[in-house]
Amino acid sequence: MTTLQRQKTLGKILSFIAFCILVYYAAKLCRVDYRIFKSGIFEGFQFIQELFPPDFGALGEMLYPAFETVLIALLATILGALISLLLAFGGAANLAPAWLKFVSRFIMVAERALPEIVIILLLVAALGLGAFPGVVALAIGCLGMLGRLFADAIEEVNPKTMEAVTSVGASKMQIIQYVVLPEVMPSLISNVLFRFEVNIRLSVLLGAVGAGGIGYEIFYSFQLLEYERASTAILVVLFLVFSSERLSDYLRKKILPTGKLK
Amino acid sequence: MIEVKHITKSLPDGKQILKGISFVAEKGDFIGILGPSGAGKTLTMRCLNGLTKPSSGHIYVNYENRIKDISKCRGRELREMRQKIGVIFQGFNLVKRLSVLDNVMIGRLGQINSLRSLFYGFTDSEAKEALQALENVKIAHLAHRKVASLSGGEMQRVAIARAIFQNPVMLLADEPIANLDPSNAKKIMKLLKPLAQEMPVIGVFHQPKIASEYCNRIIAIKNGIVVYDGSPNLSEKKLEEIYGEEFNALEEATMTPTLAYS
Amino acid sequence: MTATIAKKHLPSEKLKKKVTCFSLFAIVLVALSVQLEFNPALFFTEGHHLINLLNEMLPPNINILWERHNIFASVQETIAMAFLGTIIGGLMALIVAFLAARNTSPSVIIRMFFRLFMSVERVIPKLVTILVFVIAMGLGPFAGMLTLTLSTIGMFGKLFADAIEEVDNEPVEAVYAIGANKWQAIRFSIIPQVIPSFIANFFYAFDVNLRAAIGLGIFGGGGIGFEIHMAMKMLRYSDALALILFTIVFIMLFEKISDHLRARILNKETLR
Repeated sequence: MTTLQRQKTLGKILSFIAFCILVYYAAKLCRVDYRIFKSGIFEGFQFIQELFPPDFGALGEMLYPAFETVLIALLATILGALISLLLAFGGAANLAPAWLKFVSRFIMVAERALPEIVIILLLVAALGLGAFPGVVALAIGCLGMLGRLFADAIEEVNPKTMEAVTSVGASKMQIIQYVVLPEVMPSLISNVLFRFEVNIRLSVLLGAVGAGGIGYEIFYSFQLLEYERASTAILVVLFLVFSSERLSDYLRKKILPTGKLK
Repeated sequence: MIEVKHITKSLPDGKQILKGISFVAEKGDFIGILGPSGAGKTLTMRCLNGLTKPSSGHIYVNYENRIKDISKCRGRELREMRQKIGVIFQGFNLVKRLSVLDNVMIGRLGQINSLRSLFYGFTDSEAKEALQALENVKIAHLAHRKVASLSGGEMQRVAIARAIFQNPVMLLADEPIANLDPSNAKKIMKLLKPLAQEMPVIGVFHQPKIASEYCNRIIAIKNGIVVYDGSPNLSEKKLEEIYGEEFNALEEATMTPTLAYS
Repeated sequence: MTATIAKKHLPSEKLKKKVTCFSLFAIVLVALSVQLEFNPALFFTEGHHLINLLNEMLPPNINILWERHNIFASVQETIAMAFLGTIIGGLMALIVAFLAARNTSPSVIIRMFFRLFMSVERVIPKLVTILVFVIAMGLGPFAGMLTLTLSTIGMFGKLFADAIEEVDNEPVEAVYAIGANKWQAIRFSIIPQVIPSFIANFFYAFDVNLRAAIGLGIFGGGGIGFEIHMAMKMLRYSDALALILFTIVFIMLFEKISDHLRARILNKETLR
């Protein structure tokens, strides 16, 4: 073996050892305990038995909260997409001056680092419970992901086409309307559909901390130990998530024949 | 009428590309600009419609009995000038996801108010005029197709129709046939030639043979200055003098179009 | 001369269509807002509540980050949850992926079973999983970690399985052609092809899990999410803001680190 190869092998062994130490340390921090796991699995399955049979009598009570959850996700997706688009115009290097790009991109990065659940905690603290903070939190939650994807898509518009339309004397607003928007529309819509799917899931989660809807029903039933009622709510959620996934998949494939994101 | 008076252009690094270009173009002129690569042909064209500002010199454009210096115009005034100058490009530079008719109508964007284009768009009579422009380049039957589905020759015709639709006082063509096969290239030249009856047509060409065949005046640029301005019948010797080392490669260039799609 | 434009292509007709679509859209938007009692004006009428909250939050009580020892411990807990969830879940996802991919699965029944398992798992909200695990394992990061492990299997098992199914078939056939068995074909022709996508997805999974770990903390998973929740509940708003800012900074930091590591490892991978 040459020295270089030996160094490489040594490096590999060292990183593996470091990795193992990290895993051990993390396991300790997480209080991983095989005995708890063993008895926990048993308890878990026993508990899952308590979820059955679902209390279908409560199904009627679940319909409106489920509807509310979908509405929250829908409205938040629409509003979030509109705000993200505006932010993306500011964050695209080919439309905005450097300082505006920096500010917009910074907002997107900061938002992406801020979990939606923290946003809703803040909003609930300020505005109280209800759909309003839920919609606002989810709409803000769109900014990081959609804003960046939109801005990247806008930056990919052929600069020569933009220049050609500039050369007929078009204003910036006209260039956005007649060049940028038509060119990015398919990727825009497909990303919004994907985000709708994400927002349905998030809207369930946020419901538990105060946005209302079906998530609240689950959390509340657990706290009241009404597990059979909870499992009805869970089934409704499964249906919601599953059908939103199918729907957004289907629509995406219709818009983009490849069905691929980005 | 357009009068170019001693324009110069230096790059930020101090290298002077244009060293004083002057010529006058009038109605009836179909000017072919020739010259080796890097001589400053494309840069001259960009100065002519204000996409690049020359470092010094003047470009007087005469329209509606007014004379304006495009190299000094900014903002709204510059956009007004650009409306009056039709440009077609090597890469066609159309909005691929819009229909052919929409692409032609984009030629008028500079002439309508931003607010009108945002809320109202184009009028029916404008659409009919645009269709007329398409008929002039013999592709009216493609009016409602998406541009993305057209061939190169068809795309360049759309670009010409867009320029005609602008009602320009002059037409600039930056290597309009470089991406086309020889038969399509000739068809495009045949379309451009009669336009010179109404306005000066100025084109940059890579193929001196085709340029000599259709243009009625040739301007040759070498190292940033005009080295020839006159009859399209250039002798072999003169061509060799203009192109220098590139002369031998020319024959092949006329046969195979450069596929620099962008 | 004159070709004519069909009526539906006339700009005025298009405008009519656009106006109709836009009004419908506006009506839907308004109807949704009314139904949810979502009134944007609330932002202005209730804006003072937000301002009040901000006033109470500012300035952030940065001191809390080192005054209370357990903040540091909770951050570690959150990171450990995400890290372990990614490693264990990722490795299990790998195994499941090979069992669920068409070209490597030992039998159709096994393949269908794991595909079904993954799609069911992906539909179950994390909220439910964490609640069940908290009941089974007790409060704390262990329950959070198990939740992340399970969701990683569901989500990345599918990505991995799809990646395996998408491999270029020619090298695989070439390996079979020289008389290799299934194991050898997997080892020498499928694994090398999918490794870059696996690595990239591992890092992506970590990013996703780190964010999720914060959310899970609120429902009993422990860690920094729990601390934020507690601070808010006890109305210690300036502490909460300090924690939130700290969270943003460390998530951004980890994203940078993971981007860097991924680029390095993938570069090495392609060089080999």
